[in-house]
Amino acid sequence: MKKIIPLSMLCALSLMADATLDTIQKELETQKQKTATLESQMQALSRANTNQSASFSQNAYLPDIAFILDMSAVARDVNNTAYSNYAIPGFIAPGDAELIFNPNRGFNLNYAELALHSSVDPYFDAFLVLHLQSNVFEIEEAYVITTSLPMGLRVKAGKFRSDFGRLNKKHHHSWHFDSQALIHEALFGPDALKDPGVQLQWVAPTDTYLMLGAEAMQGTNEASFGASESNNLYTGYLKSSIDIGESISLLGGMSIIHGENFENNTLNPTDLYGIDFTFRDQLGAYSSLLWQNEFIQREKSLGIRVDKQAGFYSELIYTYNNNYATGLRYDAITQNDTDLSAYSGVDTDNLDRFTAMLEYKPFEMSRLRLSYTYDRSKIISGERKNINDVMLSLNISAGAHSAHDF
Amino acid sequence: MKKIILTLVLGVTLAYANINVDTTYSTLGAIVKKIGAEHVNVTVLGSSKYDPHFIVPKPSLLAKLRRADLLIINGGGLELGWLPPLLRGAHNRNIQNGAKGFLDISHSIAMINVPASVSRAFGDVHAQGNPHYITDPHQVPIIAEVIYKKLKLLDSANATSYEKNYQVFMQEWKNYLTEFDAKMQECKTKKVVQYHLLFNYFLNRYSIKSYGNIEPLPGVSPSSKHTIELIRMMQKKDIKVILQDVYHEKKSASFIADKTGARVATVPHDVGSVKGSDTLKSFYNTIAKQICH
Repeated sequence: MKKIIPLSMLCALSLMADATLDTIQKELETQKQKTATLESQMQALSRANTNQSASFSQNAYLPDIAFILDMSAVARDVNNTAYSNYAIPGFIAPGDAELIFNPNRGFNLNYAELALHSSVDPYFDAFLVLHLQSNVFEIEEAYVITTSLPMGLRVKAGKFRSDFGRLNKKHHHSWHFDSQALIHEALFGPDALKDPGVQLQWVAPTDTYLMLGAEAMQGTNEASFGASESNNLYTGYLKSSIDIGESISLLGGMSIIHGENFENNTLNPTDLYGIDFTFRDQLGAYSSLLWQNEFIQREKSLGIRVDKQAGFYSELIYTYNNNYATGLRYDAITQNDTDLSAYSGVDTDNLDRFTAMLEYKPFEMSRLRLSYTYDRSKIISGERKNINDVMLSLNISAGAHSAHDF
Repeated sequence: MKKIILTLVLGVTLAYANINVDTTYSTLGAIVKKIGAEHVNVTVLGSSKYDPHFIVPKPSLLAKLRRADLLIINGGGLELGWLPPLLRGAHNRNIQNGAKGFLDISHSIAMINVPASVSRAFGDVHAQGNPHYITDPHQVPIIAEVIYKKLKLLDSANATSYEKNYQVFMQEWKNYLTEFDAKMQECKTKKVVQYHLLFNYFLNRYSIKSYGNIEPLPGVSPSSKHTIELIRMMQKKDIKVILQDVYHEKKSASFIADKTGARVATVPHDVGSVKGSDTLKSFYNTIAKQICH
């Protein structure tokens, strides 16, 4: 009996082993079949993944394209004809003002802008900004920058906005206010300081940001220069920035420009000196306080005398969250030593301007801005006139995402 | 003689010259430190307290990029709104897109939520897919591998050291994941809503279902209509957890929590964004703890 039990157990075991072997073999067969099916599926898939594109298609190389629209509704206590002939004593003579932004009471389509960017090759990036108005097509900027120079150097060549100061380089749609800062308008006009030329910038290999730059430009800007028989405009600047803790950043810059004007039919030097200072405190992920200031002085020789003029702006922007921001700006002409005899009998002192704005951004690509301006810088129809201006503007930027400014 | 001195000087400088690695976000930085250890100086450009889409392009970041030997980015469009102008302004040819010292991690990740069609009418959707893969701890070995390979390529003199660190880290992470995954088993039945699609990679990994977002569309602020719909849906489906990140406003979540009795879980999206999430492990542990426990 005792022997029978182990024997039968042995039998049972061997039977079980046989059964297991069978199952494994069957399983192996199924797996083989599965693998074969998978392999054929994979081959089919890889065939499907072969290049099916049109033989000469170049769509993948399209540049980044963005288009920007800017429009406004304006209420102003000066009629359009009188306003279009405004003067800023010592800077802009009656009828000389170029009105690009928000010239009319009622509705304005200020501009449509087309901005393109692309890598050219491993050595150059190219940028093109086309500024379009009802009867104006302008190449706002068209330039290349180098991407592979050694030692922290970069060259920019083409037509570009000078990196002089803080605001000049920025396009209208990235300004915090719809109107141009008064001193910039007075010295450069709404076209800003931009010209064909070359720029060389160097970033120091230091812990603290330090950038030195120099530009040679044609010098066509009529407001301060305008002697463009040959290139005669040279700029130089130094910018630096430090952080205080994680949230506060300070940015400062010093700039000079040397150019030539052709007043009184002689070539005369024009020199500009600028300092700028920006304080920014990041209060939260979407909230910040920005205080930006810029002071510019101009010494313009007219052959017979030298005019010394200066002004500044100071703006404070509080960004509450990604939807709302508000800001104040004060603009002033602080020095105006020039011939003001054309305005005899008119008060030409204390030319300044206050602007307040409230901004609503439904999304990062669109912006509605309500602003109020009290402008004490202008002569209208031969008289000093303080202008009240209320404006609602809409700016959108569609297509390629332009990165955020500091 | 001169040659000998030169070789000596060069040799000494090379032996002590660490490579400067800039990463756009902190988790990437933490992984670089694991592999590079004493041979790398790691700089994290974007603070983990802020929205990774909207890092402030401080000029001081230009100085950091200027001296970098290697720039490691998250990719997937996450840096689109702040990094390109900094990269142009830093004048550093070694880290330009396409250069040897540029590494886009997203190129090694199987991206999810890739939209079939892309339009800003759908909010801030990324054409490349959801870029927030960093919240899934199973992505860490993939990231570690590409970083290891890049470091080895850039700094072959220390290749053996990188290899050793990499092997040690991979083993350590494998053990960690085994334990982590086991603990996550009990969370499979959890139902959540999120503020933004930040945690999809984590939720997908552990089969936790996300039923909606507080923002109506990516990058669009909450509206009352959408919030009411979300509350109704949460009540109907009995959803008791709201995943809140550190940088979005918190009012919407606490309002919804009031109405639904749900819990607001503040979940870190990057190493160090909440207290006690300063290391890789504590970061993922905090995510798990906040979502599940």
